[in-house]
Amino acid sequence: MKLFWLIVLIFCIVWYATMTLYVGIRGFFDIFSMLQSIKENNPNNRISV
Amino acid sequence: MGYFSFLDGTIVVIYLLLTIVAGLAVRKYVGKVEHYLVAGREMNLYLGIASLAATEFGIVTCMYTAQNGLKMGFAGAVPGILQTIAMLLVGITGFCIKPLRDAGVMTIPELFENRFGPSVRWLSGVVIVLGGLLNMGVFLRTGGEFLLITMGYNPAEFATTYRLEIMMSILLIIVALYTVLGGMLSVLVTDFLQFIVMSTSMLVVTILILTKIGWSEIVNAVETHLGPKGFNPFLMERGWEFVLFNLCLQFAVVLTWQAVIQRILSAKSTRVGKLIYVNTSFFFTARFLIPGLWGMAALAVLTPEGIGENTLYAMPKFLSIFLPSGLMGFLIAGMLAADMSTDSAYMLTWGGVIYNDILAPLRKKHPWSEKKGVLINRTIVALIGLFLLFYGLWYPLKGNLWDYLGVTGTIYLSSMSVLLIACCYWKRANNWGAMGAIIAGAVFPIGFLVLQQLPITAEWAQRVGPYKSGLASYAGSALAMIIGTFLKELFVKKSNTEFEGH
Repeated sequence: MKLFWLIVLIFCIVWYATMTLYVGIRGFFDIFSMLQSIKENNPNNRISV
Repeated sequence: MGYFSFLDGTIVVIYLLLTIVAGLAVRKYVGKVEHYLVAGREMNLYLGIASLAATEFGIVTCMYTAQNGLKMGFAGAVPGILQTIAMLLVGITGFCIKPLRDAGVMTIPELFENRFGPSVRWLSGVVIVLGGLLNMGVFLRTGGEFLLITMGYNPAEFATTYRLEIMMSILLIIVALYTVLGGMLSVLVTDFLQFIVMSTSMLVVTILILTKIGWSEIVNAVETHLGPKGFNPFLMERGWEFVLFNLCLQFAVVLTWQAVIQRILSAKSTRVGKLIYVNTSFFFTARFLIPGLWGMAALAVLTPEGIGENTLYAMPKFLSIFLPSGLMGFLIAGMLAADMSTDSAYMLTWGGVIYNDILAPLRKKHPWSEKKGVLINRTIVALIGLFLLFYGLWYPLKGNLWDYLGVTGTIYLSSMSVLLIACCYWKRANNWGAMGAIIAGAVFPIGFLVLQQLPITAEWAQRVGPYKSGLASYAGSALAMIIGTFLKELFVKKSNTEFEGH
């Protein structure tokens, strides 16, 4: 069981680090494309608060 | 010896300023209720992964998973593995989430109306909000306790000073400010920032623990204090019940926890929603195992006197003496990020259900305009903030926190998961069954808590245990759905036959 948990932990750290880096880069572009789509689809519906 | 320094404070202030600016910058894009509640359904894969992970990891999660690590060793991380399996299976197959996303609804109860009628939608909304808000009511205080203990403050001082209340009130005001104004758009943008800060700090602290304390030392501590059951959950007392109950619970969370499901409903398409689940699934193992390891490290480093009576405080006490200056500020910023993302998403989630399923159905003949709808949503989120402030922070909670969280969660998770499965895949399911499932799902956990408090039944309740009552809630809810459905078929068919006879 100890070996099982060691493997899970190592996989966890490697996966999490890779995911953080990858999502950190790609997610940044997702934000801009999301805001751009909302702006293009609803040019007249913007409310300033 | 760590403790909070000027450098740590500077890191935290910079992070908070960045969050406020990012959160407020996107408020101008909110033009419709759909933008406010589900980001106009424009969320793509990577932003969805960041948002789901950030939402589902708050300080309260960190505290309980670390406590699991301390008290149960590696076996305490089993619920995380079960959630990974549940999310992976649901993500690959699209079980329930595909019909839910395809229906184009903004909340789960909205889907129920098409099948079970407006009463079931309304009652589902009430049960979800009740369970969700009561559950969330304890987040703020637990978060404050973690932050102050890690910064080096003595838990004994909490009752005599208002430090915790003031600090968390300021934090809540910041979170409420951008959530009220920007809704889901602000939540997504800040979630992204918070995911990066939270994940990086968690990874750095974990690697530091493994290099400074060492894997062998942690394993030895678990072996010495807990023995083989620290590695194998089936060797624990009521081990099978624990695993089985958590399996049901994690499947129900994946299918119906509104904060999780809102990410599916905000996704650009059903395919993106499914991919978000598949790609985030392993995060849920990390969510239990990483803070669990911090709890086990506390077990290895602290003396029994150092741990004290409240095992919940052991992990932050350990971090307060373990982390060097600079890294302490980074961790505090990371945990603030975790807490803020959870609070903002949960405020918006429960607010969305109040608007969409409790208030809006009452105005079907004269629906609100989009502008008024956004304004009402903002007011609801602000009121939830007020509720959290007074109920969760200034009102001292009595009793066991873990039982409280378990009960409030199960009240709605059991019935909503049964309703969702029946709604999507059982053509005969009807509103009698749905009503029965909601009532049965709530009766068992509430009944258990009441019986636990009564002196005459306390011993019996102790013998039954929380896992059996939780399992009974899922089984009872499913059974009530089946019996209710057949009863309606029987009675309605009978009355129709009699009517035709006349």
